[in-house]
Amino acid sequence: MSDAGHDDHGHGDQSPFIQHHYDDAQHQFDSGKFGIWIFLAQEVLFFSALFVAYVLYRVHHGEIYSYAHKWLDVKYGAINTAVLIFSSLTAAWAVRAAQKNQKTLLIACLATTIACACGFLCIKYIEYSHKIHEHILFGRYFDPCVSPGGEELLTRKNMCPGSKGSVIWDAGSDKPTEGCFEASKLDLDTKLAGVQADCEVQIVKVDEKGKEQPGGTPVTNQCPDELLTILNGSEAGTGKELVKEAAPKFPCWRPAYQPQVCPDLTTPEQRNHGAGMKSQVGILVEFGDHEEREGIKIKAKCKDASAPKPMDALALSHEKPTEHVGERAIKPVHHISTHEEHEIESLGPPPEHTSMFLTIYFAMTGLHGVHVLVGIFVFIWLLIRAVKGQFTPDYFGPIDFAALYWHIVDLIWIFLFPLLYLIH
Amino acid sequence: MADHADHHDDHDENEISHVASVKTLVGTGGTLLFLTILTVLATKIDFGANINLAIAMVIAVTKATLVILFFMHLRYDRLFHTVVFVSAICAASLFVGFTLMDSSQYQHTNIWTPSEPPAAPIGPRPTG
Repeated sequence: MSDAGHDDHGHGDQSPFIQHHYDDAQHQFDSGKFGIWIFLAQEVLFFSALFVAYVLYRVHHGEIYSYAHKWLDVKYGAINTAVLIFSSLTAAWAVRAAQKNQKTLLIACLATTIACACGFLCIKYIEYSHKIHEHILFGRYFDPCVSPGGEELLTRKNMCPGSKGSVIWDAGSDKPTEGCFEASKLDLDTKLAGVQADCEVQIVKVDEKGKEQPGGTPVTNQCPDELLTILNGSEAGTGKELVKEAAPKFPCWRPAYQPQVCPDLTTPEQRNHGAGMKSQVGILVEFGDHEEREGIKIKAKCKDASAPKPMDALALSHEKPTEHVGERAIKPVHHISTHEEHEIESLGPPPEHTSMFLTIYFAMTGLHGVHVLVGIFVFIWLLIRAVKGQFTPDYFGPIDFAALYWHIVDLIWIFLFPLLYLIH
Repeated sequence: MADHADHHDDHDENEISHVASVKTLVGTGGTLLFLTILTVLATKIDFGANINLAIAMVIAVTKATLVILFFMHLRYDRLFHTVVFVSAICAASLFVGFTLMDSSQYQHTNIWTPSEPPAAPIGPRPTG
């Protein structure tokens, strides 16, 4: 190794960050670089376990992938790919700037990398929150509101909090339409209490193929207004007493108002579709604890004309009395929305075990997202050190190593993007 | 080590490690972005599921190679680092490959439901 006599001119005093147990700056840098490459090799193996899960499941259940990937928006995936590639470029440029002692450029590159990483996570947040709202989640939380094509799914196990079964009919359309209640969005107290409708409600048993069996059970009881307070949760803690006092006979029905269907839909078409369904009344059927909710359909026939206009938002302005028929099955069936003008692709209900795709999606992108988060903290640390002027052409190892880590994060996304978003 | 030390500050020189030129960095970044657009566009054309997957993977591997060679400086780095990294990729390929070889062994394993037990020989032995 070179001793001080062979040092280049002008840089005789070496960086104070060269540890005394290394021969020189080169020795320290090489040791660190070897370490980071070993770490990166480990990262490849770490992620490979998830790629094994992905490939194995795709080989055996390709239909799940070709169905479920449509829930992912290629636009967001592509933007994130570009963001990461750009941040990789600035990270690599940061190394160059550090090597050449360009402090301002170094700070700018590090700051840009951090900004891009945060942008990546913001887009990921948008994607994740859509999926959380629509219950497009992993494992047993997989309970989607809409199919990837935008049609509403009636395969939901947990229909929506507060509604055990419901029929919605669209006030603006002659055809029945169906959707899920978002109880949190439903102001049951004020919106439901005033709604009245003249309906005949029936519970019809269906067999496994979804075929109706003859002879339905009419639901004659109307749920009392007090029940809505319980559903709404506004009288927390007193719900049980109210049930006793009101003593509704289950099953009971009542007209309901649905302000929104599955908000935060992804595409503009879906959003229009959601908006078009804003003003709806429907039937909410409440079951007792011991009643069979599986394998039944709820059918309702209502005379719209008798429904008053209890709230301003409700666009119930039918001049002529129209009769609306709707039904909602609790068994897995699907219903193509009546809003055909919005070009909803009919994909049908998800194939069996579709939740596995989402499990793999969340595991892979989640682990990757954690790496991005770690990268942000590392680059903030480097930024602070760069501002302090601690990096010199003979001491830039941390920048180089962090950049290498950042490139591997980019590398993994380069594979995740086509594998998750671009399935044909 | 810089084996061709040149004492001009404006040159892309560093005593310790290779300095990537601006041309290399921007060129690599630009190519990566171009390939990203290409892979999105390729998905829109139907070549058949397998060929589409192959195209997407070839583009992804190309992008990964560019990142490794130029952004990660592996082209100018020690050969040993290449050995370490390529070994890891080989090991990962082995994981995937061996799992796929083995997985078909369990294709016919059913999860029994008491009401519908699978037929013999894998089902329960006939009683009586």
